Amino acid sequence: MAMTIDVAELGGNPPLACVALAGELDASNYEQVIDVVRKAYADGARRLVLDLEQLTFMASSGLFALHSAVRIMGGETPPDPEEGWSALHQMSMDEDAPASNLRLAAAQEPIARVLERTGMLRVFALDATRADAIATLQGA
Amino acid sequence: MAGSAADPRNPEPRALQIPASVDHLAEVRSFVRDCVADFGGSKRVADDLVQAVDEATCNVMLHGYRGKPGDIAIEAAVRDRNIEIRIMDRATAFDPTAAQARDAARPPAPTRIGGMGLGIELLRGMTDEVHHSVRPDGGNELTLVHSMDRPTQED
Repeated sequence: MAMTIDVAELGGNPPLACVALAGELDASNYEQVIDVVRKAYADGARRLVLDLEQLTFMASSGLFALHSAVRIMGGETPPDPEEGWSALHQMSMDEDAPASNLRLAAAQEPIARVLERTGMLRVFALDATRADAIATLQGA
Repeated sequence: MAGSAADPRNPEPRALQIPASVDHLAEVRSFVRDCVADFGGSKRVADDLVQAVDEATCNVMLHGYRGKPGDIAIEAAVRDRNIEIRIMDRATAFDPTAAQARDAARPPAPTRIGGMGLGIELLRGMTDEVHHSVRPDGGNELTLVHSMDRPTQED
């Protein structure tokens, strides 16, 4: 099953974008997510909701893409997947608090379990719905 | 033969062979999901094994064959109410069961895509047992075991 990506620019100040993923996110297509987030940032977005409601599978490569999205939204150079970036990670993510400019929304149960099992919910906030995530970022 | 299609307690083993390319991961996941359903496993067991087999197979593609052409054979069988999935390759010997566990005190940092990190953590965390052996004629055999009757871990 392929993955589709839908981007909505929602405006605001700073501008907010919502990227909705549908299908299966794996090692064959995770770079598409990074590219879309990079483009949203280039187009002005500084806050991002990743809507996972229609996503049925996410591999560890997907976790890498989500991690990249946080960095891109923070204005950092997106990591090169061919290189290790543990050192880069040390620079900005030592604080044990979820990112403030990116929220995940509506993860299905298997994906929520992957996020929880890998400790990713310490890096990302996860809201029950897309609307909740948008409202939280807009109120911030 | 221990199993036959007419005996739901001992379903026939099933097999899949794919080229070592990430474009075939969806086919692997579909195969695993179908096998678990045919074997009578729950959706939760299927979700766990789909995740674990995807991570293990992706590791073989990216770090075993390192992008070079190769084949991966996958076999699924039931023994004593356990689903066993064997992943066999001809790549460089690599034992994911020997990889060091992540430091749980720190936030996770994916080091590289499909690398020695979260993928291995997932393949171990989503199964009851993982066994690795080097095949006598070269390559790896990785066996993932998951009980049909209970989740791997309590959430």
